[in-house]
Amino acid sequence: MRIPCPHCGTRESQEFVYRGDAAPVRPADDGAMFDYVYLRDNVAGVMREHWYHAQGCRQWIVVTRDTRSHAIDHAEFAR
Amino acid sequence: MADLVQMIERAGLSLATVMARKGADYGAIIAALGDGELHATGPGTWLAVSDASLDELPDRLRGQASVSDQSGGYIVYRFAGPGARRLLQRGAFIDLDPEAFGPGAVAVTAIAHMGVILWQVDAAPTYDVAIFRSHAESFRHWVEGMIPALAPISA
Ligand SMILES: [Zn+2]
Repeated sequence: MRIPCPHCGTRESQEFVYRGDAAPVRPADDGAMFDYVYLRDNVAGVMREHWYHAQGCRQWIVVTRDTRSHAIDHAEFAR
Repeated sequence: MADLVQMIERAGLSLATVMARKGADYGAIIAALGDGELHATGPGTWLAVSDASLDELPDRLRGQASVSDQSGGYIVYRFAGPGARRLLQRGAFIDLDPEAFGPGAVAVTAIAHMGVILWQVDAAPTYDVAIFRSHAESFRHWVEGMIPALAPISA
């Protein structure tokens, strides 16, 4: 699989570290922390996910990918 | 090997990573380096390479960028000769074809799974590879193992 890094261009996925779903947002109250840290949907379809370009520009990016086909729509910087 | 690829260490270089501060003017940072080489490694980050000392660079970039000395951190190898591109392509995932990667191009990537900063010097082609010194021996070992595979097969 190749990932279109917004800085480096298209690169082999081995250069990246996968973090997972980009949707969860750190909650303000501790009560919701368990869900934030541990609970994830097992998405079958299009999802936005964090990848870290460890052997490249060392930027976090958000990749929009279809988990059924691995088709990547686009990628953008995470910040 | 000598006909196909020449590999030398660019010894005695000063090396530094330069990271722009938030809102800094990239043009001013590039201008501050003067005669040295500046290879882009990410958004607002560069590897500065110079035959002269870079000791004054932090002062010239004060408030604009952070400078970290890497002279002892990286080693820079220069590859030349008709087999240079084929050699590096054996280890790199990125496309080194002249249409995709030419003189002046820079990439932070991996060669034989070791992280490198790779740039093309000229169209000969000549390439430079900066790699962590602790990986240098493994990298040279990979090169030595790969060279025989480049030689034309003779009957
Ligand atoms: Zn990148």
